[in-house]
Amino acid sequence: MEIFDKHILENGMVVLGEPMEAVESVAFDFILPGGAARLPEGCCGAVSVIADWIFRGAGDRNSRELGDALDGLGLHRASSVGSSFITIGAVLEAGNLAKAIELYADIILRASLKQDQFELARQLAIDAVRALDDDPRQKVMLKLREQFYPDPLGRSTLGEIAELQTLTAQKTKQIVKDSFNLSGTIFSIAGKYDFDAIVAQMKNLFETDRQKPLEPLTLGSKAGKYTHIHNEGAQVHIGLMTGTVRPTDEDYYNARIAVSVLSGGMSARLFTEVREKRGLCYAVKASYHGLKEAAGIACYAGTTPEKGQETLDVIIAEFNRLGDSISEEEVERAKVGLKSALVLQSESSSSRAAGIGGDYYILGRVRSLDEIKSKIEQTTVDSVMSFLQNNKFKDFTVVTIGPKEVKIQ
Amino acid sequence: MEFKKKILANGLAVIGEVNKSAKSAAVGFFVKTGSRDETEQINGVSHFLEHMLFKGTEKLSAFEVNEAFDKTGAQFNAFTSEENTVFYAAVLPEYLAEVTGLWTELMRPALRDEDFNIEKNVIKEEIAMYKDLPNFDVMDRCRRLHFDSHPCGNSVLGSEENISNLTAEQMREYFTRRYAPNNMAAAFAGNFDWEQICSIIEGSCEKWQKQTAIRKLEDSPGSKKKQRIEKPNLVREHICLMSPAVQAQDPRRLAAALLATIIGDDVGSRFFWELVDKALAEAASMQFGAMDGTGIFCSYIRCSSENVGKVLDTIKSIFESLSESGVTEEEMKTAKNKILSALVIKNELSMGRLIDLGGNWIYLQQYRSIEDDINAIKAVTIDDVNSLIEQFKPGDFTQLSIGPAPGGLFK
Repeated sequence: MEIFDKHILENGMVVLGEPMEAVESVAFDFILPGGAARLPEGCCGAVSVIADWIFRGAGDRNSRELGDALDGLGLHRASSVGSSFITIGAVLEAGNLAKAIELYADIILRASLKQDQFELARQLAIDAVRALDDDPRQKVMLKLREQFYPDPLGRSTLGEIAELQTLTAQKTKQIVKDSFNLSGTIFSIAGKYDFDAIVAQMKNLFETDRQKPLEPLTLGSKAGKYTHIHNEGAQVHIGLMTGTVRPTDEDYYNARIAVSVLSGGMSARLFTEVREKRGLCYAVKASYHGLKEAAGIACYAGTTPEKGQETLDVIIAEFNRLGDSISEEEVERAKVGLKSALVLQSESSSSRAAGIGGDYYILGRVRSLDEIKSKIEQTTVDSVMSFLQNNKFKDFTVVTIGPKEVKIQ
Repeated sequence: MEFKKKILANGLAVIGEVNKSAKSAAVGFFVKTGSRDETEQINGVSHFLEHMLFKGTEKLSAFEVNEAFDKTGAQFNAFTSEENTVFYAAVLPEYLAEVTGLWTELMRPALRDEDFNIEKNVIKEEIAMYKDLPNFDVMDRCRRLHFDSHPCGNSVLGSEENISNLTAEQMREYFTRRYAPNNMAAAFAGNFDWEQICSIIEGSCEKWQKQTAIRKLEDSPGSKKKQRIEKPNLVREHICLMSPAVQAQDPRRLAAALLATIIGDDVGSRFFWELVDKALAEAASMQFGAMDGTGIFCSYIRCSSENVGKVLDTIKSIFESLSESGVTEEEMKTAKNKILSALVIKNELSMGRLIDLGGNWIYLQQYRSIEDDINAIKAVTIDDVNSLIEQFKPGDFTQLSIGPAPGGLFK
């Protein structure tokens, strides 16, 4: 039976932990409520500027001193920008944990946010958006989310060049102030640590007055059904997404099994039909993508231009065929695959820190591995089939990048 | 942790590191063959063959293979480099025996013409996919330019034309020569029963025939050539720099890894502070690539076309300062901390441990515990690193860039 640690500071900041016996490492994440969807209009990309800017000097250290202090701990940084959150995290050897958290408190609460450093951070953010044009595979999936999710959930986490260009240091500073709201922040830690010491340190560093609670997001409409971006590359990169139940839904595990039957392992349907039988693609994969507010099944395939249409047609046919019948063996393989992935990930401190933090944000609690396993176990061919019958795939949002367009039937 | 080893009569090395506290186990077949072992005519065959192993045996169809793996929930795959082809799986301990048995069968594939012809399309799609990844494309082309006529410059994927012309018969011939038991190792890491694994391997692999598998080993000073390739659909300049380094068997490889970290780690390195922090380039990194009988320092930089001149000047001054004053004690300390913590974190997973275990065996015929590596990294001195700079002159490199419009040429 696993143990989870939990403490809530007086300001509402949640501190979660999962101790792991067999490791010498520790990983932690600060999940701060400042994702791309929470940005004011006209500031798309501000979060990716912030993710860089806050590391350019904090507390009494300048940019170089801060970087050297972090590196000196042998710490590996891991920041990511999501739809609702910005996650600032790290993984390191457990011995340096207390020093690392002290530095992160400076970064989160006392970043210097100097004008000259802002310009550099903004330039890098603009360059990252430009560089996307040279990475059509990543670009197609970002565009796909933008088209699929109701606004502002799908907003590009990297940003828009025009909006980045008009962004000012002053405006961005205000965004940092608004979004680094400790009352809506989750701190998760996994690996080797002493929870009493962590709580004492967090109280000392992060206890503040309670801040205004976050407003729920108001969702707008979706952007479109099909978008093509022309690029004289070697392949057509196809992104396809269709709606499904959210992680909080009672059918969540049925949806996960259905996605696994479609594209879990190499014996799953997409790989078999698209790659093994027809040789249409090297890369073809569908996966569940869940936010708190909405969820979908996202599929990527890359193929040479003359095979683009057939690839898309076969993929859509496989989505539609899923609700016709599923075999006992397929469901069994999907279950074993999901359970095994769960255990394998549980050996990594960074996966666990992200896992418990994500759970708490979406569900308001942490699921134990046993609970997840038993939920997976409870699914059956009948439960998955009735889920598929009640949630037929209707609309597909499609984005392609490449030399040739496709037709959506 | 307990190390186990057994060499079968036909030369197959079976090695394992048992860690009873792990929740998983990993198995890998490390075959000492890759694009450097190919002639021009069959370039790309190692990688194509890696795909073909999943296509089944006399008894198993491709679908049955995939099904058998998926039934165990294994996370399995394979990769091919210039000099190794590695097949691996990470599983829950109770499935290791089954997955190991499956791999031993697959190591003697059917290589059917029909499967070969379908898979050819998949290989061509993979070649096309990498053409759309300029960060990969630039390295591949730079390796060719750097190694010149040395076989380590051979492309792993091969060209589309080569793949079109390749025959199943050529592949079968290559397979027989290279997938010999004396040219491979079966490695295990994590929570497993050594005796059980050994009996599975012995039962399946003892009958495999020993072959003469030779690899020509020569060092390469590198061509030091400069080249730029234009691609109208690109928007950024992708630059790759390559210079010679120590070989995988050289004890100075750890000093070389530290030097690459000091110069080009993602954060906190000289490249980072001079190029990325100042927003001259959005990516700049250097890695040390240890190879059989040779080695390279390899850097990748991505920037705007306008910044190419400044970026190259900056790189030049970074290397000049290194050759004049060497690295600092502070840099040594930081680089050691980074490498040590990365080592510990990676080896907490059975899969991470497997790669180090198999790699050490393939290159050194040696078991090295994590502690051995930790101590060896700690023992590297600043003089070790500085003498590498002196000997290998990393500022004297081969350079290849791919980018959009004319201009931004090397200096």
